[in-house]
Amino acid sequence: MVIFGVLLLTFLLIHLVPGDPVEVMLGESASMADREVLRADLGLNQSIVFQFGNYLTKLAHADFGQSIHTKTPIIELLKTRYPATLKLALVALFIGLSIGLPLGIYAALKAGQWQDLVVTLVSVRLSAMPAFWLGPMLMLIFAVWLGWLPVSGMESNTSIVLPALTLGLGLSAILTRMTRTSLLEVLNDDYIRTARAKGITESNVIIRHALRAALLPIITIVGLQMGSLLAGTVITETIFSWDGIGRLLVESIEKRDYPVTQACVLLVALSYVLVNLLTDILYRLADPRVKFAH
Amino acid sequence: MKVFNVFFAIGLAWLLLATSSCRRDGVSAQLSREIVFAIGQAPLNLDPRYATDAASERVNRLIYQSLVDFDSQSKPTPSLAGWRAISPTAFRFTLNKNRAPFHYPTKLRQAPLTANDVKATYDSIALLQDSPHAAEFDNVKNIIVTDDSTVVFQLKQPDSHFPAKLIIGILPAELIALHHDFSHAPVGSGPLKLLSWRNQLSLQRVSDGQTISLLEVKDPTVRVLKLLHGEVDLLQAELPPELVKYLQTKPEVTVKTNRGANFSYLGLNMQDPTLKNLKVRQAIAYAIDRDAIIQKVMVFNTRAASAILPPEHYTNQHSLPIYAYQPALAKQLLLEAGIKLPLKLVYKTSTDAQRVRFATIMQAQMQAAGIQLEIRSLDWGTFFADVKQGNFQLYGLTWVGIKTPEIYGKALGSQSVPPHGFNRGRYADAQLDQLLAEEDWPSATAHIHQQLPYIPLWYEGQFAAMRQEINNYSPKADGNWDDLATISRYAH
Repeated sequence: MVIFGVLLLTFLLIHLVPGDPVEVMLGESASMADREVLRADLGLNQSIVFQFGNYLTKLAHADFGQSIHTKTPIIELLKTRYPATLKLALVALFIGLSIGLPLGIYAALKAGQWQDLVVTLVSVRLSAMPAFWLGPMLMLIFAVWLGWLPVSGMESNTSIVLPALTLGLGLSAILTRMTRTSLLEVLNDDYIRTARAKGITESNVIIRHALRAALLPIITIVGLQMGSLLAGTVITETIFSWDGIGRLLVESIEKRDYPVTQACVLLVALSYVLVNLLTDILYRLADPRVKFAH
Repeated sequence: MKVFNVFFAIGLAWLLLATSSCRRDGVSAQLSREIVFAIGQAPLNLDPRYATDAASERVNRLIYQSLVDFDSQSKPTPSLAGWRAISPTAFRFTLNKNRAPFHYPTKLRQAPLTANDVKATYDSIALLQDSPHAAEFDNVKNIIVTDDSTVVFQLKQPDSHFPAKLIIGILPAELIALHHDFSHAPVGSGPLKLLSWRNQLSLQRVSDGQTISLLEVKDPTVRVLKLLHGEVDLLQAELPPELVKYLQTKPEVTVKTNRGANFSYLGLNMQDPTLKNLKVRQAIAYAIDRDAIIQKVMVFNTRAASAILPPEHYTNQHSLPIYAYQPALAKQLLLEAGIKLPLKLVYKTSTDAQRVRFATIMQAQMQAAGIQLEIRSLDWGTFFADVKQGNFQLYGLTWVGIKTPEIYGKALGSQSVPPHGFNRGRYADAQLDQLLAEEDWPSATAHIHQQLPYIPLWYEGQFAAMRQEINNYSPKADGNWDDLATISRYAH
């Protein structure tokens, strides 16, 4: 139902906004007759209901159609763009987790001390940095000044580092704050005190007992952030010339390339649904008390 | 606590490892012999029968050859062929003797292009339903090949400007017959040929094998950083002036400028009751300080404009005065027109940062003249749809690559209201129609300048920034990339 709702809403919205692919393709000098011929050729002269029904029928046969402008089969576009977004999202998530979790734990253990203050200040600053500022700053430092990395593009294996850092640092800031808060809530619980009284090492207390209990809100945040990352991070993809799904979606909207827009939105919606499902499964693994409803 | 310190150490080591391993790639990019040109928008379609975007047209000029081109005064001149009018409705084109062969990937055909290729190209445009250029050739009745190097275009109606329309790149007849996909696999006979088109468009110069790659980098700041880092060798236009000035301070970069010919203007809705009044239009023209805008926020060599076609155009016999900034006079004109101040107007523009900046400055300038400008910044599709539908009071746009005086008829003729032309302001003026029919361009230009159906702003200067080792490249007035046919890199 969610997917159908998304399809219907997207279809209606893109047909309601001003602009027309025929106008974009033929320009202003084309005759009315030529416009009508092309409109009929693209099936745009049919009623919206008929067009939507036709679209659903094709979709049921896994036929996304082709781009109105480039005539490229949309499945080919998605095959090249979505893996790029997925790769960027996974690396960004790895960076976010590998910085955010340890920092959050450290801040919780040093709560109220100067180390906590420093971590809090850094994470607040990081979460306040927009990608359109942080991205060029990282380029300036790591590419232009130090010469370690390419500025942008996808040509080399290391091209992913800066866009992933841009996304991952922001994510790490959120995770640091969330981990610290969640951990602080459980660190004073009786079972933690009991574990310490039993003589279990501090690292075991934190990792095996406290962190596991604090994991649920962190999983929620990670799930939500992963959904956003898979939806394509338009600004980061644009700044770093990363040919992902976000850029494809925005470009298709600009050109009124309806089939491409619909396919991108469908893929994004499917990603969200899938990530939500994975999040639910992770809940169950993190806390066996969580039951799936039938 | 030790375990957390280990976390930090691992994190730091990972970051350093990830970044230090990249050094080799950066250096190898610098050592590459190809010339990389960073562009803001990649070409969309390399089939000249379909291409309309500026990037595609600029690349197509290099991949294909056309029958006709334009000189520095925008007069049509022979390119691939010379021509002669044999009657008011017939033109004979004779192809040059020394013609390059098509860039076939195999040695399928080595002979140069012929009159048959010309006929096949223009015949196919007429048959294509979705070619944006098809309407331009509606007047063609017949194309006759008399021999391998001669072709005659017969027209339905007399059109003295017809040769200026023959600027479409010529395609090989055999491949047209096979419905070859020229949009992604172009086969032309120009100075450059396609090597590959994946993440970037790689072209090869036929004469010496030099590879030239066009890399799309949307963000202007990133284009500049890539130039400074040596990842790209060249960039042209589409940068805010502060970045151009920044580049001019860098010893490793050379910035070249040239005067531009692309005309920026304020469009007016002539059906709007307020804007119908000439005094109101004059007030708007006097309420903009063009010189201040040009000096402060535009690149060097930008010129204030008084007409669509620049002063050096062959039809401009006398230069027309620029509307100078006179806010007091503007206010007085508004009062004379019976307008209650402040006059509220809505100005529509795109979301492009530089266009929004212009709008904001004009908003401030017009305030002194008693005009309260409300800016509406819209995404391109919505903005342009509004402009074509006449859903605006004021809008800002630029005419790019205009060469022929026919633009006056297309943009201001009373028969050219969209969808029949570009008269987006719905201007109807019998006197102008008469002057345009008589092709009295100086009088028509003067009449337009006096009646102000649009407000002329400026011709934006052109510039190109390149690494110091790059030479034989300079920006052109219309922003074309023709010098990619001659660009070279100093050998170290």
